[in-house]
Amino acid sequence: MNKTEILADGFWHNNTIFAQLLGMCPLLGVTTSAINGFWMGAATVLVLLGSNIVVSLIRGFIPKNVRIPAYIMVIAAFVTVVGMAMNAWMHDMYLILGLFIPLIVVNCAILGRAEAFASKNSVLDSATDALAVGLGFTFALMLLGSVREILGHGSIFGLSLFGEHYPDFLMFVLPPGAFIALGFIIAGVNIINRRRGRAAQSVAACRPAAHAVQE
Amino acid sequence: MENNQAGNRKAKHTMEMLMMVIALTLVTVIAASLLGVTDMFTREPIRQAQRAMLHRSLEQVLPAHVNSPIDDKLVWDVAGKNMPVYLARDVQGRVTALAWEVVAPDGYSGSIRILIGISPSGGIHAIRITAHQETPGLGDGIVHNKPWLDFFVGKTLDNIHWAVKKDGGDFDQFTGATITPRAVVKAVRKGLEFFKINRQKLLKMAAHLDIQSKKGKLPS
Repeated sequence: MNKTEILADGFWHNNTIFAQLLGMCPLLGVTTSAINGFWMGAATVLVLLGSNIVVSLIRGFIPKNVRIPAYIMVIAAFVTVVGMAMNAWMHDMYLILGLFIPLIVVNCAILGRAEAFASKNSVLDSATDALAVGLGFTFALMLLGSVREILGHGSIFGLSLFGEHYPDFLMFVLPPGAFIALGFIIAGVNIINRRRGRAAQSVAACRPAAHAVQE
Repeated sequence: MENNQAGNRKAKHTMEMLMMVIALTLVTVIAASLLGVTDMFTREPIRQAQRAMLHRSLEQVLPAHVNSPIDDKLVWDVAGKNMPVYLARDVQGRVTALAWEVVAPDGYSGSIRILIGISPSGGIHAIRITAHQETPGLGDGIVHNKPWLDFFVGKTLDNIHWAVKKDGGDFDQFTGATITPRAVVKAVRKGLEFFKINRQKLLKMAAHLDIQSKKGKLPS
């Protein structure tokens, strides 16, 4: 695989959210606004970069039987580092994201990249993959955060869009609204993919959602 | 011959086991050192960020003052725990307000920390939420809902019924969220009760602290 393929695959065709439906916990938990989604995505990109690079570096050295605990240890270390850094230099955002920062450890998308990609590829390819997947994840978080913020609060990045009399759709701020909005977004993504005649790749990784659209 | 093979297999197995232990130990040691180094660099900034946060909240719950409440504090012993009480003073060094943090243990998801600013006569100057995990868009109105927060201003233990309207009191609950405001109202009421009981002692300690600090300043 060349770098362009890795990038396109990680960002779009195998997008963590739209195609693989992984990492739902932070997705639904923090995307009450676009800015929360952005910073959660940024934190995840940093962790992914760190873990993919290190896992790729140690891939020849870790015995097969203990690779999962070793990867988890690497991921947990990077998550803690990112959490401490946010607590120190972005205290307000750290308080908002709160519990979801340590929970990046159990975002199976990250362990997934370590196991499926970084443990089999060069450091440079693994870093590229981390960037692509991380940015794809960030994009999805921001998109869902924007939709929920616009519908739920009538604002985007904290800027009011429709004036003071906008009747806040509380449902979109709450978890059910996240599921509903996500469903429509995935449907939209599938329509785009089909139009572009590239649906095949996405269907393989995202069968249930693709079926829903076909029916 | 067979013995030899079995021996080889055993030796190989032992080698593999050893490799696993070494690999995991190394990964752990490296991860731990990384965390240690990060802690070294972030400890002071984290402390400062927390202090800045407390400073901001104190400025919001205390009236205009000439001292620095974050340092001008007395330490109250509650069940073996030291609770800081921050003081606002005027030019004469008289206490114009006190602030301390109360905890509502019964929020919708976990405890809610509330900073209460109160005048020496027992009226609330302002309250602010300093930490919570309430539902965004529902319970977190206790942070963003300015009219609701402002409703506490000037309230004393006796001039209002300390409960949410659903419980027959005077405080609004939010649509879809009663538990959160109920917990806050209850915690603030308890804070006021604490102040009523310990008012004399607190004010005496505060006045004493002022004399001490002035004594301390004299030589310089």
